[in-house]
This record gives sequence, C-alpha cells and structure tokens, in this order.
Amino acid sequence: MRIALYVTCLVDLMRPAIGFASLRLLALTGAEVVVPPGQTCCGQPAWSEGDRPLAAALARQAVGQLLNYDVIVVPSGSCAEHIVHTYPQLLSDEAGWRDAAQQVAGRTRELASFLAEALPPGPLPGHFAGTVTYHDSCKGLRGLGIKQAPRDLLLRVNGLNLQEMADCEACCGFGGSFSVRFAEVSTRIVDRKCAAVAASACGAVVGGDLGCLLNIEGRLRRRGDETTRVLHLAEVLAGGSGD
Amino acid sequence: MAGMRSQAMHFQARAGQKLADEVLQGALRRAQPLFTAKRQKGMASLAADGLDFGHLRAAAAAIRQAVLDDLDVWLELFEARAKARGAEVLWARDGAEVSQLVVDLARRHAVRTVTKSKSMLSEEAALNAALLAAGVRPVETDLGEYIVQLADEPPSHIIAPAVHKTIAQVDALFADAHGRPRQTRHSSDIPALAREAREILRPQFLAADMGISGANFLVAETGSAVLVTNEGNGRLVTTLPRLHVVITGIEKVVPTLEDVATLLRLLPRSATGQDISNYVSLLTGTKSADESDGPDQTVFILVDNGRAGLLGSEFEPMLRCIRCGACMNHCPVYFSLGGHAYGWVYPGPMGSVLTPLLTGLDQALDLPWASTGCNQCGEVCPVDIPLPALMRGLRERQQHQQLRPRGERWARRVWGWLALRPRLYRWLTRGLVRYLHWLADGQGRIRIFGLVPGWTAGRDLPVGPGRSFHELYAARKRD
Repeated sequence: MRIALYVTCLVDLMRPAIGFASLRLLALTGAEVVVPPGQTCCGQPAWSEGDRPLAAALARQAVGQLLNYDVIVVPSGSCAEHIVHTYPQLLSDEAGWRDAAQQVAGRTRELASFLAEALPPGPLPGHFAGTVTYHDSCKGLRGLGIKQAPRDLLLRVNGLNLQEMADCEACCGFGGSFSVRFAEVSTRIVDRKCAAVAASACGAVVGGDLGCLLNIEGRLRRRGDETTRVLHLAEVLAGGSGD
Repeated sequence: MAGMRSQAMHFQARAGQKLADEVLQGALRRAQPLFTAKRQKGMASLAADGLDFGHLRAAAAAIRQAVLDDLDVWLELFEARAKARGAEVLWARDGAEVSQLVVDLARRHAVRTVTKSKSMLSEEAALNAALLAAGVRPVETDLGEYIVQLADEPPSHIIAPAVHKTIAQVDALFADAHGRPRQTRHSSDIPALAREAREILRPQFLAADMGISGANFLVAETGSAVLVTNEGNGRLVTTLPRLHVVITGIEKVVPTLEDVATLLRLLPRSATGQDISNYVSLLTGTKSADESDGPDQTVFILVDNGRAGLLGSEFEPMLRCIRCGACMNHCPVYFSLGGHAYGWVYPGPMGSVLTPLLTGLDQALDLPWASTGCNQCGEVCPVDIPLPALMRGLRERQQHQQLRPRGERWARRVWGWLALRPRLYRWLTRGLVRYLHWLADGQGRIRIFGLVPGWTAGRDLPVGPGRSFHELYAARKRD
C-alpha cells in the first residue's frame, strides 16, 4: 500500500512539524509513505471565495498529483473535506477529470480518522504529562463526522489525560478569509473559545486543523496566556522533535 | 410608499458599533445559551417521543420542496378554498403594494386603529410607517414587537424581536410610554412587565377595527392560515376586530393539514424547544351566522417580493424556510453582533442568504461573507437548507458580476497563478517563510503584521521555523 501525505499549504508554511509528525505516524502503519511533489494548495480558499475556475484548476492540479496512491492522508479536516466533498462536484462536468476526481475523493482521509483505523493497537510514541482538551474543528466534525477518532488516539498517548472543555464543538471564529475580512468579529468569537480553554484549566488545547490552532494560539497569547500549549493532534501523538 | 429600506451595505460599520456596545453584548451573552438549551430540550423531547430528527427533517424538507415544485398549483388551490370560505385573497408584488393594499382596506373600512400580531412580511413592507402616514395607528401586540415599537426600532430576531434589549432598557421604555417613574428591575420582574404591557394592550384589542397577522403556514386544502404563538395576542388580533388581514409570503403554503402536523413537530422544538407552542390557531374564512367569534371579513395578502424569482434557481432551497430562528440561535456571527447589524428584516444565516436575494446582490455585499462556514446553522435547520453552501453560491454570483473590490480580485488572481506553478510557488514561499520568521519576536510570534493587519489587530501570528515543510523534506531526502 502506498500512502500519500497531502501536507496542506498552511502546514507547509506555518508549522512544518505537523507534516513530519504525520509522516512518523503514518510510517507506523507499515505502509510506504510518500509526499507527492508539486503540492501547493487544494484550492479550498478559492472555492469558498466563489472563484470556481481557480478552484477547479487547483483541484485538477491536486488530482493529477494524488491519483496514483492507494490512500491520501490530509492533516486537516478542512482540506480533506474539500477534496472529499467538493472535488467530485467541481469536476463533474469535465469528462477527462470526473472519474479521477471521484477516485481521489474516495481515497482521501483526514489524518485522525485514518490513523484510528490503520495504526496497530497499543500505545503511541508520544509522551504528554498533563491534561489536554480537544477542539472539534467545524469541517472535520460537521463535514466529515470526525468526533471520536482523535479522542481515542489521544487516550493512547502515555501520561495524557483528556478533559472536555465547554462547547468544544463551537466554531473558533477562524473561517479562512473571514478571520481577516471580519477580523473584529472573528476575534470576538475566538475569545469565547479562549475562555472555554482557560476554564478547562488544561495544559494544552489540541486540534486537527492548523487554521483553527493559529487563531486560538494567536488570541490566547494576545490575551496574555503564555503557557497553554496549542498543538496539532499529530504533534501530540508522534511526540519527539518536530523536525 | 417603498418597502423597508435596507441598510445591509453598512454591515461592516455596524458590526464595529455592535461589538463596542457593551449593553448589547451583555444581552447577547445571556441570551445565546438559553436559546441553544431550549432547542436541545426540544430535540430531547423528540427522542423521548421515539422520533428521529434526521428522518423528520427529511420529511419536512420534502413537504416544503414539493410545494415549491408546483407552487402555482398550490397557491391557486389555496385561493379557491379560501374564497369558498368567504375570505378575500389579494396578491402583492412587493412591499409597496402590500402597504397600498392595507391602507386602501383601512380607508374602505374606516379603520382608525390596527392591532398587529407578529408579521415579518409587514416589516419587509415597512407597513407601520405607511399606516401612520395614512393616519392609522398600528399597535404591535406581541410583547417583543411592542417593546421594539416603543423603541422605534426594527426587530433584531425573527422570533425574539427584543432579544437585544435588557430588562433595564425595557423598564425605561415602559416608564416613558406608560407615564410612570423608572424602577430597578430584575429578571424576576419580567412577569410584572408583561402584565403592565397586557394592561395597556387590552383596551387596544377591544378597540381595534382591523387586526393584522402573519401566517406560519397557509393550508391549501382548507384555505386556512396556521398561526403559532405563545402569548395569546395572536388570537385576540385575529378574532376581535371586524376585519382580519393576513399578510404572508407566497412560499408559506403547504398542501394539507397532515403536512402541517409534520412541520409542527419541528417548528416549535427548533424555535423555543416547546413540544407545541402555547397556541396553534387554525384560521379559516369569516365568522358564519351561527358563530359568535371571528372577523366579519378576512383578507389574505399573499406577497411575492422577490420570492418567485428564486424558483428553479440554485437558491430555491431558501424558500423552504419556516422561520424558526434556529440558524441564528446557533450562529457565532449573529451572537457577536445581534440582528440589527444585518441591516434589513432578516438577520443571521437565513438573512445573509435572503437579504441579497430579495433586495439585490449589490445591496448587501457583505452578508454572504458574514459566516465562518462552520455550518452550525445548516446542522440545526429543520428543513435542511444548506445555508453555508447558499452563501458560497452568492459569493460566486458576486464574482461573476464583478462586484468584488479590485484589490481583492487581483490578490487572489496572483495567489492562484502562483499556486498553479509549483516550482515558482516553492521558490517564493522559501522567501516568505524566511520573511515571516524574521518578522517574529523571540517567541516565534508576529505582533503587528503589515501585510494582513486585520489578523494582528486582535491576535498574534504564530509562525514557523523559517523553512517550509517541502524545503525541509527535500533537504532530508538529499541527506
């Protein structure tokens, strides 16, 4: 089996450690893990901005890069949801791409849900002394139905305690370009998330989407919280140094 | 006599004002958990009755969709059955025609006072202003509507019009309007305030010559209006005056009473968490010779105001809406701003879709973007309207009609051009991540970021190690 890691543009630019942690975890499945070359962005931002031609062009590019793998794993609910749900619809009228888009969509998995099925049982390599809380990101939760998988995985990390915060399923206010276009509203929404994180008194908040995590971490720090760690699930599960 | 003027173009500016309004923010903060808890209770009672939300909402959506598939047929049937029961049926193209029809009716029937039960359509028409201009006094009798009428404001929520008001503000409005000193009030005083309003409203109910209501549904097979209310004012408005005028949108018709029964399992539960609202009124025709209650005359005004134009379009699912308010009750943007920021009649996610569709795409440029795409709205919608997808569709229309700012379009064009050229993209992003790293402080965070100032206005920007993943991965493979 050959697994392709689709790194996502945000992980590429803002936190490469998540990509390397994902590689280490995927290697534990025993499969061959590859980072297909030429990756840039899946095109979700273009799609949500209503730019269909650009979203379709980026979809064709990614489909071409990802077609020859058995599984495509994405460390982001948002990007995975876009590939799974939007690619087939976006390329449905293009005879040369329709089938390929459906194949790629059918083989694409968000990291947590794939690991929960594919990893051999037993403890995971990560070590975490303390309590964490999990933020359900919107596209992963409501788009792909990912709820239990990341929690089950976290509980397999040595020393880790999981404690739910209030309203863990509430949006953090990121919303891609929303966070900039309506920056003040976005900040107000993430304030509620930060308050819930603070009230949980956990040492770390963990999530599966870097966009949400940058938003939450950025606001926590601005509020003066220098200690609560904000981590991607892959970083916690894989442990060790990021790169 | 135009319909309600939209202020939706001022969404950004109003958003800033609303965020800075501490009193409003307090009211919203207190209200949201109450709203979501109520729906949760409603869903629990569904489960306790052995009903599944998913199945029920599929059935409700199918009922509403079937109506839209043959809307003309159901409307004609409704018209025939309503007339057979002695009602008059009038049609209005837009808000201005609604106001004209009502003012004409008022003149013809020598009406001086009008009592009103909630009607969002009358808000679309700005009917109260038109009535006042014609010398007729409209009295809102829904408690929330009464409060916002005293405040001379539009409702800020479709089922809780005064949700943005605090008890202190309500007491001040009542004190000034009812000629009494202001008092310090607590939530335990809400019944006393309601009683105060009731005492003022009672003589109005008795004196009114015309009663105006909306309708939650129109039933085609019986020619009836269904009214779902909690305060009892709806019954007084629709039965005491000699003339009852029902103003509602053409999309509100459903085929049968059985369909109403299905929809009623979801409407109150989605809105207020009640298994059934305190009152469900089925209003059919006029008072017959052997009846003691009811109006001598019933007039239905069925309003298009842009709805028919949505039939057959990608936005048709919006017409399934049954106005429960669940989408706004679960919307993080709505509860950051309240309803007035949205600038027209309908706030929240359903308003962000409906306002541009009914008032013009170029009259509400911000609204389709006023969403994080979280889909908390779509998930609770009892008729399964894909609200985030419809908002996205409106953005696509804006792009087609070149309604977006030039700078925004060029930024995306340049980014897209680069993202389609992986080698060039890789080379440029090498520079970008180094630049970000250089901008960051000792803790790896950017405090003020000139390229995207909006982000760092309220947040730091945590950045990476100055190397991109693909760069590090390539280097590792070389080793």
